[in-house]
Amino acid sequence: MTVLVVVGVLVAGLAAGVLSALLGVGGGILLVPFMVLVLDFDQTVAEGTSLLVIIPTAMAGVASHLTRGYVSMRIGAQLGLGGVLGGAAGAALALVVAPELLQFLFGILVLAVGLQMMITGLRQRRASQRSR
Amino acid sequence: MSKWLRMLIVPGMGVLAGVTSGLFGVGGGVILVPLLVAVVHLSEHEAHATSLVAILPIAATGVIVFAFGEGLAWGYGALLAAGSILGAPIGALVAARTDENTLKAAFGAFMIVVGLLLLFG
Repeated sequence: MTVLVVVGVLVAGLAAGVLSALLGVGGGILLVPFMVLVLDFDQTVAEGTSLLVIIPTAMAGVASHLTRGYVSMRIGAQLGLGGVLGGAAGAALALVVAPELLQFLFGILVLAVGLQMMITGLRQRRASQRSR
Repeated sequence: MSKWLRMLIVPGMGVLAGVTSGLFGVGGGVILVPLLVAVVHLSEHEAHATSLVAILPIAATGVIVFAFGEGLAWGYGALLAAGSILGAPIGALVAARTDENTLKAAFGAFMIVVGLLLLFG
C-alpha cells in the first residue's frame, strides 16, 4: 500500500463512521460498496473485511451505550445465540455463491435500503415542516 | 408476550439477522432494530444498543468463516476500522445540529445510485 492509499482508506473509514452515526445505518452497507466499486475487491473479500471492521466499531458503540443503560444484555445474548448459527450458515453460503451473483444480490439490498432511507427522510421532512 | 414464547422468538430473530450478516457482510442491525422495536417492544435507543451487542458474536463468527474461505484484507480492515471509530463521535455531534431528514433523503438517493452500479456496473 502506498501512503496515498493508506490515507485514502483511512478517510473512507472516517466518512463511513460519520455517516453511520449520522444516518443510523451500519457501517457494512457503506463499506462493502466502497471496497467493491473503489478498491476493486471481490464481493466475497469485501464482505469478510467488512465484518472484520464491524467488530471494533460495534464494540465502541456498545461501550458508549452501556454507560447510558440502553443495553439489554439478556436479549442481546439470546439474539447472539441464534445469530452465531445463522452467521456461520450465511457466511458459508456467501463463500459458495459466485461473487458476481453475490454482488447482484447485495446491490438489491443497497437499493432497498436507499429507497427506504429516501422515503423515510422525505416523509419525516414533510411532517416536520407541517408541524412548524 | 410470554417469557417462553420470547425465548423461542428472540433467538429466531438472531438466526435471521445472522444469515443476513454472514451472507452480505453487514451487521444485521437493518433486520434487528425494526424487529426489536416491533416484536419485543424495545425503544428505538434500546433496540440500537441491544442489536450492537448481538452483532459482536455474529460478526466474529462471520470473520472466522470468511478467514477460512477467501482470506480477508486485514490491513485495509484495520485502516477502515480506525477511521470508523474516529468518525462515529463526529457523526453523532453533527447529527445533533443538522436537519437529518434532508440528509437522509439525499443520502438515500445516493445509495440508490450505488445499488444500481452494483447491479449493472
